[in-house]
Amino acid sequence: MERRPAEHFDRDLEAALVRGRAMPVPGFAGRVVTAVHADRLRRAVIRWGSGLSAAAACLVAALMLDAPSEEALIVEARSLVAAEESAQFHELLSLADDLALLQPVIERPALIEDLADGGS
Amino acid sequence: MSEESTPLADEEEDRRLMGLVAAGDDDALRLLVHRHHARLIGYLRSEVGSQATAEELAMEVFIRLHRAASRWRPEAKLSTYLIHIARNLVLNEWRRRSRKPTSALESAPEPGDAAPESGRRVGELEEAFSRAVAQLPEEQRTAILLFVQQEMPYEEIASAMGCPVSSVKTWIHRARARLKELMLDFYGPES
Repeated sequence: MERRPAEHFDRDLEAALVRGRAMPVPGFAGRVVTAVHADRLRRAVIRWGSGLSAAAACLVAALMLDAPSEEALIVEARSLVAAEESAQFHELLSLADDLALLQPVIERPALIEDLADGGS
Repeated sequence: MSEESTPLADEEEDRRLMGLVAAGDDDALRLLVHRHHARLIGYLRSEVGSQATAEELAMEVFIRLHRAASRWRPEAKLSTYLIHIARNLVLNEWRRRSRKPTSALESAPEPGDAAPESGRRVGELEEAFSRAVAQLPEEQRTAILLFVQQEMPYEEIASAMGCPVSSVKTWIHRARARLKELMLDFYGPES
């Protein structure tokens, strides 16, 4: 190919690039409007979906908060166990209410009795 | 009275249409796309080297424009805003592909490229320029495309690329120098 004068460089560059400046596409605007409608619908579905998820999460949280907590259940269980144990102890100890049962039986050995008598 | 539109009138019309688009007017959106799509696709095709990809990206640009219509403030020209969105999408596209386009010739040849013998030489030169532009670093290519092809002033290019005007001037200067090197076989020595 014959070499071109260097002075033509800028002009040739512009001519080469300007050729692709505008690329009109028939029906493109209609395609965009259709795509925008689809995008709008998709975003509405996502928005409703996330809204419903948030509502469901709130409902679950409300149910969880309404129910007694794990700590409260433990405390309640402990108090029941304590009450049960207390009843058992009471049943056992009520037999000894007169304290007689608890009084130690001390029998003086016969040897001590004899010594005591002999000494007097 | 002349019916020819001025840049100021164009900007005013864009603002009016954007207001209508924000209100959900599909006809206004259609008109807005009709006004801007050809140059946007031209720019995108030069960037990505494929007509189909350029159309896909342009579609995404207008979808994003529609989403942002209610928040849009006319601080810059709408065309500059469109180029700004388009450039971000181009960068994402390259990241997705993890490679830059090696040649603008990925696209199908334009009708009439090969037919007339007289136009073949011009076609070869244009083809060589397209290849050379595709080999430029990203900022240099975008800057030279916006400056030469889209005839945007430095300030608008800086706004679209989100950089200082001085950077734009540097990139354009370097792009020209690099293109001259790449096109050395086609040109004689400078006088």
